[in-house]
Formats: sequence, C-alpha cells, structure tokens
Amino acid sequence: MTDANSPERADQTLDCIGLYCPMPVIRTNDEIDKLAVGETLEVLADDPAAEADLEAWAKRTGQKILEMGKTDEGTRFLIKKTK
Amino acid sequence: MIDKKKILYVQTSGVDTPKRLYSPFVLAMTAKAMGIDATIYFLGSGVTVVKKGAAENVKEGSFPTVKEIINQAIAAGVKLSVCEQSCQLLGIERGEFIPEAKVVGAATLNDLVLDADGTMWF
Repeated sequence: MTDANSPERADQTLDCIGLYCPMPVIRTNDEIDKLAVGETLEVLADDPAAEADLEAWAKRTGQKILEMGKTDEGTRFLIKKTK
Repeated sequence: MIDKKKILYVQTSGVDTPKRLYSPFVLAMTAKAMGIDATIYFLGSGVTVVKKGAAENVKEGSFPTVKEIINQAIAAGVKLSVCEQSCQLLGIERGEFIPEAKVVGAATLNDLVLDADGTMWF
C-alpha cells in the first residue's frame, strides 16, 4: 500500500548508487530506450554531478524529469519517457 | 527537444600524456546518450592514441585503460577520424590504426569544424 505522500511509483527503477559521471546519464538513457512512451523511470544516484547532468540530458533528449528530490543516499529522479 | 546537434572533439595529445586522453571519449559517449552527434578527430601527436595496440597500455590512476574507454565510445556510436598528414609526420602507416578510425585529411577537419555546433580541443 502507498499513502498519499509517497512518491509516484515508477514503471522501472535504475540504481546508480556508487556510479560516477558519465555512467548515470549513460545508464539512464539506455533504460529510457527500453521503455514505452508514457512509462516512467526512477533513477537513484549519489553522483554529485547527476542532478545537473540529468537535467542537461533531459533538455537535450526531450525526456521529462517529473520529480527530483534528496534521499538519504543521494538524489531520486522520476523521469517520464515522452518520445 | 532541440534539433540534432553535432560536437567535434579534437585530440592533439598523444599516449605520452595519459591525463589528457580520457575527456574526449567520455564527453563524446555522453553526447551520444544525449542525442548529440559526436566525432573525435585525432591530430598531430593525437594519432598515437588510435594506433593499434597503443591504448591498451595507457592507464591513469584507478581509471580503466584508454583502450576500454575507446571501445565504450565506439560502442556508443562515436565516430573516429585520423589526420593523414599527422600519420606521415609521425611515420605511422595507414593500416596501423584501429579499424574504427577513418583516415581523412585537412579539408575534412576544416569541414567538420564548420559543420559542428561546437568544438572542443584537447
């Protein structure tokens, strides 16, 4: 069960904890390729460059970052495949 | 979404300077993941990086060998071009390069620069 405050559930999760630039971007792009348009990908990353880099990646690829928030381990992204 | 862009990376540093070799490959493979077309042009001493068997022996700190990074970039679809005149300068024959590296000339580099949306030189 999820409560109203829990983050939106993703169709797929990608764990990038422990990975450094450029791997979170490369892995995220690979995973997004596997999804259908409209599906969402949750990315967990502790690379300090991940926030800026995934934003740049989303800007260039046209994919949409729905949520971006701090967690105990680092940052959680929720990305929607838009195309 | 922005129209398909192109970035040209020019590597002028050779296997004697390992610290200068990783960046263009990492940037270029990341560009591909961002939907950006990426080409690396090896010029001057830079041609030593794509000489067969050379990059396998080049490594810096905890990083993988340069050859591993080259393979990742190739797998990502990064194009590699080698300067013909630089090969002559360094006495390297055409057949001595990794097969993915295409030997081209000065006109091609000039054209690639004008055609690119941005260039980076290493």
